[in-house]
Amino acid sequence: MTDHLSPTTLNALVDGELSAGQLAAVKEHLDGCSACTSSALAHSLLKNATAKSGQRYHAPPELTERMKRLVSGQQAVDHRHPVASGVGRRAALSGWATAAVILVLVGGWLFLGRHALRSNTASTENAALMTEVCDLHIATLAASMPPQVVSSDRHTVKPWFQGKLPFSFNLPENLPEDTKLEGANLTYVHDRPVAQLLYSVGRHRVSVFVQEKTGESGTNDFLTHQAGFQIAGFSTRELEVVAVSDVDPARLSGLMDMIRRVQVS
Amino acid sequence: MTLLPWRRKLHEDAPAASSFEDLALPLLPALYNLAFWLARNAHDAEDLVQETFLKALRGFSGFEEGTNFKAWIFRILRNTYLTSRSGLAAMRTVALEDELREQGESGQVLYPEGAIERQTPELNLIRLGDRAALQGAMEKLPPPLLEVVLLCDVEEMKYKEIATILEIPIGTVMSRIARARAFLRSELQANSMLSRDFRA
Repeated sequence: MTDHLSPTTLNALVDGELSAGQLAAVKEHLDGCSACTSSALAHSLLKNATAKSGQRYHAPPELTERMKRLVSGQQAVDHRHPVASGVGRRAALSGWATAAVILVLVGGWLFLGRHALRSNTASTENAALMTEVCDLHIATLAASMPPQVVSSDRHTVKPWFQGKLPFSFNLPENLPEDTKLEGANLTYVHDRPVAQLLYSVGRHRVSVFVQEKTGESGTNDFLTHQAGFQIAGFSTRELEVVAVSDVDPARLSGLMDMIRRVQVS
Repeated sequence: MTLLPWRRKLHEDAPAASSFEDLALPLLPALYNLAFWLARNAHDAEDLVQETFLKALRGFSGFEEGTNFKAWIFRILRNTYLTSRSGLAAMRTVALEDELREQGESGQVLYPEGAIERQTPELNLIRLGDRAALQGAMEKLPPPLLEVVLLCDVEEMKYKEIATILEIPIGTVMSRIARARAFLRSELQANSMLSRDFRA
């Protein structure tokens, strides 16, 4: 394969539609062609971003309830029993009594299990948040574009967000050694506007995402890693802050400590 | 195992292994999302989903168990949309394949595949993190291109499934995906240049 890969091939590659033979040929080509490798990355990132942006509308709870009633009502009609008589009626009555006991037991179990379910939901949401901020950080690095506001001056960067975000935050004057504010972007996480602050720590880039705290959502202090990136976070009464970088965890924590200290508690 | 009489009765009357409820309700969020993208408003989207459920319920006895339920019910939703007033209007304004050649007024092709895809990929990545910009670009996609992108990228369907739902050949699915993505890149790039000019 000497020519560059066609858009159709690149699409088929990111959509997982190539046969084993085609995939081997494409991989061989990508090994020796940086332009096509770059195009493949661009295709992959666009697909990923489209997948996230496309999941935009959420079914209202009333619709969900209505559809549940519709479906269960229809099925009840489909499977309606003839009028019970004699033995059948007694069997049905004992059935209802047993069903009532089961209902009470299941109700208790559901009540006890609700806490577990809630914590599962929270961990799923957190995992989604980690993935999203990692993707945004990677997309920022891959774009090789200057930030939307380019400045190392916190008095330039912070005011730039006026009117763009429904909240405000503080930026530290003093930063750890070899750490510099490079600028910032206005971006979106889970459809909410977020400040993406861009720092460099030595030659490492750090994205610090600052968003408004909503409801019960909250990231307690944490330091974890995903896809090779370190992810650190904390929350205040009004803000959630998450940082992503490939810098070592101690230096990331140092930067986050500085940012945390200047927030209004 | 001996079943109690009432349980035996329920067991005998139980529906087939996979009930409509089990298959359809988990797909409700995805159906609503697609319905909203197509109909462009919540009221019509709800109507579309409800009508889809009703039609699917009525036709469920004809659904062959073990085949692709998701493709089946998405096809119902899509056909329901096509026969709705908003669907008819949308498809009339942008006619199908032959008219989707993106001819400019001068007759020039607006999105020559190779040209756009070969532009510096870095530029094409601009603001992918800006979900609002991407959603804005998706809103501008003609419905035949939008639906193929949603089914491919959001619903992660295979080309074959998409072809079944849209009742078009796989080759057409592939060309629509290529055009849709070229369109999105072009929109994002234009959007990014605009905001850069604005900042300057």
